[in-house]
Amino acid sequence: MINRMGTRWRWPVMVSVLFLFALVAARSYQESTSNQRDQRVAFSHPIHAQAGIQCLYCHSEAARSQIAGIPSVQKCVGCHQVIAADEPPVQELLGYWERDEPIPWRRVTEQLDFVYFSHQPHLGAGLNCETCHGNVAQMEVVEPAVDMHMGWCLRCHEAQPAIKIARLVDCITCHK
Amino acid sequence: MSEGLRTTNNNHKGAQKLLRRGFLKLAAVGAGLSGCIPVNDKMARWLEAPVRPPEEALPGEATWYASTCRQCPAGCGIVVRTINGRAKKIDGNPAHPLNQGKLCSRGQAGLQVLYNPDRLKNAVRQSGGRGTHQFEPIQWEAALDQVAEKLKGINPERVAFLGGLMPDHLYLLVSRFLEALGAPAPFQFDMHSAYDGRTTAIKVSEELFGTTTLPFYDIANADVVFSFGANFLETWQSPVAYSRGYGEFRQGEPGRRGFMVHFEPRLSATAASADEWVPIRPGSEGLVALALGRMIVERRLGHVGAFTEEESRLYQGLDVERLSRESDVPVETLERLAHILANGNRPVAIPGGAPAGHTNGHSAYLAVQALNLILRRLGQRGGVFLSQPTPVETLPAALASSSFAAVQDLIRRMYDGQVDVLFVYGTNPVFELPEASGFRASLERVPFVVSFSPFVDETAAQADLILPDHTYLESWGYQVPSPSADRPVVSNQQPVVRPLSDTRSTAEIILALAAQLGGEVADALPWRGFSLFLEDASGMLFGSSLSAYRASTAGSFWAAWRQHGGWWADRVLQLEPEPVGFRVGPLPVTPPSFEGAEESFPFYLYPYPNLALSDGRGANLPWLQEVPDPMTTARWSSWIEINPQTADSMGLEDNQVVRVVSPHGEIEAIVVVYPGIRPDVIAIPVGQGHSDYGRYARERGTNPLTLLAPLVDPESGALAWGATRVRVEPTGRKVTLARLESLDGEGRETIR
Repeated sequence: MINRMGTRWRWPVMVSVLFLFALVAARSYQESTSNQRDQRVAFSHPIHAQAGIQCLYCHSEAARSQIAGIPSVQKCVGCHQVIAADEPPVQELLGYWERDEPIPWRRVTEQLDFVYFSHQPHLGAGLNCETCHGNVAQMEVVEPAVDMHMGWCLRCHEAQPAIKIARLVDCITCHK
Repeated sequence: MSEGLRTTNNNHKGAQKLLRRGFLKLAAVGAGLSGCIPVNDKMARWLEAPVRPPEEALPGEATWYASTCRQCPAGCGIVVRTINGRAKKIDGNPAHPLNQGKLCSRGQAGLQVLYNPDRLKNAVRQSGGRGTHQFEPIQWEAALDQVAEKLKGINPERVAFLGGLMPDHLYLLVSRFLEALGAPAPFQFDMHSAYDGRTTAIKVSEELFGTTTLPFYDIANADVVFSFGANFLETWQSPVAYSRGYGEFRQGEPGRRGFMVHFEPRLSATAASADEWVPIRPGSEGLVALALGRMIVERRLGHVGAFTEEESRLYQGLDVERLSRESDVPVETLERLAHILANGNRPVAIPGGAPAGHTNGHSAYLAVQALNLILRRLGQRGGVFLSQPTPVETLPAALASSSFAAVQDLIRRMYDGQVDVLFVYGTNPVFELPEASGFRASLERVPFVVSFSPFVDETAAQADLILPDHTYLESWGYQVPSPSADRPVVSNQQPVVRPLSDTRSTAEIILALAAQLGGEVADALPWRGFSLFLEDASGMLFGSSLSAYRASTAGSFWAAWRQHGGWWADRVLQLEPEPVGFRVGPLPVTPPSFEGAEESFPFYLYPYPNLALSDGRGANLPWLQEVPDPMTTARWSSWIEINPQTADSMGLEDNQVVRVVSPHGEIEAIVVVYPGIRPDVIAIPVGQGHSDYGRYARERGTNPLTLLAPLVDPESGALAWGATRVRVEPTGRKVTLARLESLDGEGRETIR
C-alpha cells in the first residue's frame, strides 16, 4: 500500500505508524507501573512497619506454604475498627468489611505460570523477606525491587552449600 | 509497443526495488521498536483474600476432610478436598471399610448440592399461603418461637414427624425429642428405600433370624450369585460396596470368574453384567426360587448331601410345571439353573428390590432366603451375614424404615384431622408417593406444616414454614452404614466448609427447641451443641481393643476420629444369622396380584429408580441429569422402554410420544425401543416430572408415580410399586430424546 501511494505521503505515514506504536508501548509500560499505584485501598507499608508490625503478621502463610498470603479483611479490621478509623483509607477498608466484600488487591510480585515457587523452603532456609522483595518497609508504593528472572534466582541457588546445589539447580525443582 | 513494454518493465523493476526497500525499512524499524516495548504480563492481575479466613487452611494448599456421604442411605465414607474454604472435589475415603475409596456418581455430585443456586438462604414462611411460592424471610429466633408455641399449645399425640431414611444422628435426636414430648415416634419412609425393599428385608430378617438388621450378601467371596432383582450395580441398597464386591467376585481369585444369574423383567446394568439374564414375569421371583429349591431338594443336587426333614418339607406339594408357567421360565432352564446353583462351592441367592415391590414380596423373600438355608450359606464365607449394629450404645443406629402401610395410616389420620403439626425431613411425599395415596389432599387438613428441606421441593411448597437444613457438607453427624461392611463401623460426618448462608442444622434446631420447651424434653436432650454430643459419644470408643487406629488420649482420639472419618474395627468381624424362625411346613406360594384388568391394561408397568436421580432427589443437580442411563444412554428427560416386537405391533418408533394410562392416572413419555425388556412389560425411570425443586428439576420429563396403584403387600406393609397394569396409546407427536449414543433410525449405532 505504501508503495502505491505518492512518494510524498510515504514517510509521513510511516512516521505516524511508528508514533502510534510508541504510544501504545509507552501506555503499556505506564500500565505496568501504575498497577502498584492503583490499589483500591491506599495501604502504606512504611506506616505499618514503623508501628512494629512484622511481615509475617499479615503475610502469615509464608513460612508454611507456597503462597505468602494477603491478610483477610478481618485481620485488618481487627485493629482498624479502632485505630485511625477516621482516615479515608481506613474508612475505605471498613466499607469493605461492612459489605462483607473481599478487597481486590492488584498483584505486584508474580512469577510466570511455568515456574513453581514456594515461600516455605526459602523462609525455612533462613532468608528474610527483604532479600528478594527489597526494602518494602520503606516503599509507599510497592514495586518489584529486582527483576526476578531465572538467572537472578540461580545466582543465589548456586551459592548454597555444595550438598544442596545439585537439587537447587535441577530444572525439575522449579519447573515441575 | 516494445517501448511501452520497456517502460512498464522499467517501472515494474523500479517499483519492485522500492517495494523491497520499503519493506525492509519498515521491518527493521518495527523490529527495533517491538524490542523497546517492555514484555509485561503483569497487566492487572488480582489477588483476593477472604473476608474471614477459613480455619486450618493455607492459601493455595488443599485441606482434605473425611466425612460421610448422604446422597443415599448407604453411608459411604468420603474425603473432600477444599482450597481457600471452598469444596472442590469429593472422592471415596480409602480407609473406610464400606467403600474403600470408591464412590458413585451421586456421591461425586454432592458438590452441586452444596453450591446449588436454588438453595434457600434463610428460614422462610410462606406468607402468601401454601403453594403461592411467596416466601418471606423470617428470623430464626422468631421461627423457633413460633414452632415452640405450637408444640406447647397442643396435645402431643397430634404431632407427626415424617422423615425419609434419616441419618442415624438425627433419628436419635428426633426420636428422643418426640418421646419426651409424648408424641408418636418418627416415620421413616422414602421411595428410595421402597425401591430397595428395605422394609421387606428387615421384616423377613426379624422373622427368620430374630433381629431387625438388614442382611448383607458377601458376593466378594462367592463363586455363584443368583440375584433375584437385586440391581446392586445401579442403586440397590449399597451400590458402591456391592460393586466393589462384584469386582472381587469376578477378579479376586485367579482362575475363578464366577457365574452370575440375574432374574428381572428388565435388562438393568446388573442383568447386563450377569452371565445369564432370565426375564421372568413381574412378581414371580418367589415362584422361581421355590421351583429351584424344590428341584435341588428333590434330586439332592449339589454338595449338601442329605437335606433334613424340615428342609424337604419347605418344598412340599410344589408343582414345578405350574411354577414354570406362572413365572414364564421354561422347566429346562429351571433345571439347568438349579444345577448351577447347587453345584457352586460358595453360592448365594440375593432377594433384591424388584420382588419387594409386589404384593407377594414377603413370600418371595422367604423363598429366596430358603435357598440360602438349604445350601448352608448362612454365616458362611461368600454367603449371608447380618449387618453389624452400632459398636457403641451412645451412637445408636436408627430403627427400621416405616412400611408404606404405616404411612397410609398417617395419611388417614391427617385426613381425619387428627394431626395438628407435621414436620417433614429428607423426603418429598407430595412428589414421591403415588397420587392415589391421597397425601396431597390430607396435607391440606393439617393446620401447621414445617419443612426442613434446603430446597423448595413440592412438599416444602405446601409448607407454612421452611427451616432449611445445612447440607451434609456443612454439618455434623454420624452414620452406622446399613447394610454394613465386613466389620463394625461408625462413620463420622463433619463440615468441610463454613455454612454458606443463614441455614441451620436440623440437629441443632431440635436441641434448641428442646431447651426452649424445657422440662422433660430439655432433660432428654441436654447437650448444648451437637458436635459436643458427638465428641462425648464417640469418646466411648476410645478404649476399644478393636480400634483400627491408636490414640493416647481422649483429645487425640477425637482428632483421629475426625481425621479418619469415624471408627472401625481392625479386623473382619462378621455376624452370623441364626435361622431360628423358619417355620416347619411348606413355604407359602403366593402369586402376585395386580391392579388393572388385562384386557384394558395389557402391560405391566415397571417403574425403576434412575441410576443418577434415584427416587427424584438427584433431579436438581445438573451433573446427575447429565449422567446417561447405563442401558439406554438417555438423560435429562423421561422415557418409556418398549420391547421391539411390541413397538412394531403398535407401529411405534424411537422418540415418539405416547400416553400411558393406568386405573389411577395418565402421563406422557418418549418411546425408547429397548430389546432388554419383556414384550408384556413397559419400564419408565423414576426421578423426573418435578413441578418444583429448582431450575434444573422443574418441568422436565414425567413422574410415573402418578400412575401407581397404592397396593400393599399385606404381610410386610410394603408398597407394591410394581403391581400396576397400564395401556399405551400413541399421540402422533415426536420429541427427540437426549441420548449419548447415536442411532440411525434403524437402531444401529452411527458412531463406532
